Amino acid sequence: MPEPESELSSREVEHVARLARLGITPDEVVRYRDQLRHILAAINALKQADTSKVPATAHPLEARNVMRDDKREPSLPAEAALKNAPSREDAYFKVKAIQE
Amino acid sequence: MLVDREISSVELTEAVLGQIDTVGEKTKAYLLVTRELARRQAKDADERLRANRDVRPLTGIPIALKDVLCVQDVVSTAGSKILKGFSPPYSATVVERLEAEGAVFLGKTNCDEFAMGSSNENSGYWPVHNPWALERVPGGSSGGSAAAVASGEAVAALGSDTGGSIRQPAALTGIVGFKPTYGRVSRYGLIAFASSLDQIGPMTRDVVDNAILLQAIAGHDPRDSTSSERPVPDYLSTLRNGVKGMRLGVPKEYFVAGMEPAVEQAIRDAIRLLEQQGASIEEVSLPHSDVALPAYYIIAPAEASSNLARYDGVRYGYQAEGAKNLIEEYMLTRQQGFGAEVKRRIMLGTYALSSGYYDAYYLQAQKVRTLIIEDFKHAFEKVDVLVGATSPTVAFGLGAKTQDPVAMYLNDIITIPANLGNVCGISVPCGLADGLPIGLQLIAPGFREEVALQVAYAFETATDFRKLQSPLMRAAA
Repeated sequence: MPEPESELSSREVEHVARLARLGITPDEVVRYRDQLRHILAAINALKQADTSKVPATAHPLEARNVMRDDKREPSLPAEAALKNAPSREDAYFKVKAIQE
Repeated sequence: MLVDREISSVELTEAVLGQIDTVGEKTKAYLLVTRELARRQAKDADERLRANRDVRPLTGIPIALKDVLCVQDVVSTAGSKILKGFSPPYSATVVERLEAEGAVFLGKTNCDEFAMGSSNENSGYWPVHNPWALERVPGGSSGGSAAAVASGEAVAALGSDTGGSIRQPAALTGIVGFKPTYGRVSRYGLIAFASSLDQIGPMTRDVVDNAILLQAIAGHDPRDSTSSERPVPDYLSTLRNGVKGMRLGVPKEYFVAGMEPAVEQAIRDAIRLLEQQGASIEEVSLPHSDVALPAYYIIAPAEASSNLARYDGVRYGYQAEGAKNLIEEYMLTRQQGFGAEVKRRIMLGTYALSSGYYDAYYLQAQKVRTLIIEDFKHAFEKVDVLVGATSPTVAFGLGAKTQDPVAMYLNDIITIPANLGNVCGISVPCGLADGLPIGLQLIAPGFREEVALQVAYAFETATDFRKLQSPLMRAAA
């Protein structure tokens, strides 16, 4: 098992925030880095557990496929689905340009 | 309850709304009080009672709903600014079931943002104050529901529990709170935090009410594929069977370092009392309890980081202004819409799932989860129910732990294993320390809610603790 880096770096915090689509100020990078280091240090106890022969839990209950009957049922009307939209046009959610 | 019809639902509802008017500014338990809806439902319930038409145990009973539960056309925010003003297009299954019973909805109760917290101080709106001591926290994340029940601002409430969020606030406010087994209650319409751990459950003044409320919400729902098809037993029919001949296990690991002496004393007294009632007591070991908390703080944030990806400012909720393009709009919306604890957990979860760290953190945590499930299986080969504290401390002061996330996380050290282990757990009041409530936790195997309720009821009726009322409740009487 690869060992995690010993200490979380500011660059990693920026990277993770970017992955999570979370805007973050330079001050916050430092604050979250220190807090996350503190949390990760507490979480590292996880490594003490011997799991060499243990399968990972994949589902909290008995894993099984759940299929519904193939019949039509009422679905959410478009107007209900759109009623909370911050911006819309006709029956569509309106978004900013994906590329400038 | 209203079965004897000594008062009408309208009278009861007005009394509870009056209590909200009187103490609501002190507890801040509600984010939204739905007065008009409550009055309309109470009137309908009285019609139903008068006509003796389909009268159910909860017909006319005023109930509070944690803000993570969607009610159609009633603003539901999960305590987050990012969902300010969000009006759900459909109701949660539990809400529909209570509506079918003829229950009365008082409003949406405050909670930690997206149910992430143990003190209610992470609410995106305002903190909740404990009705027993207003300068203290009510616990969390279902702190608003707990404070509402403990202050007489609701007859009962629904909460949700991902790592202790029903049981811990129930303990800290002196009420009964039950986290059913994962799959026992439909999660459809519950605003998701960690989908393999979240479970909705009842928060009530006593065990009978708790059983009645659980009965109303439990059972399979085709709209939640993780809800179990196992039949729901009649919880009231076995409630009074007592503990004579039952085997109770005391997990030695649950007397954790840092437990307050008065809490430990109350728990040991409670165990002795159950023994006097005819139960046999033995010490058991859940050897992986010490790694439950670390595993939880990987698994829950990992699931949350995925679940909360949906808050992008496009389809509902807050949308930041002034972004130049879509990516920037996502980043700004989430930066401005989420609070600090939610951001911490999103980053922690994203980190644990990211390339290079997945095996060491997420996969290892899921393996540890298997060990915790096995711990419970082994213990339940020997005993029927596990007994311990719900929280290692009584309610702490507002602001006491907000600067240290790890100290805050430790509040849930003995409630988290039940979520990871797919078992059910109930907290019942078992005394006071310096005027602050202590909770006894009873853990039963998965889908054996009736056993937990049976022990809880035996304990409650052998003591006078259920008669203890918060100062705010006493003032109303």
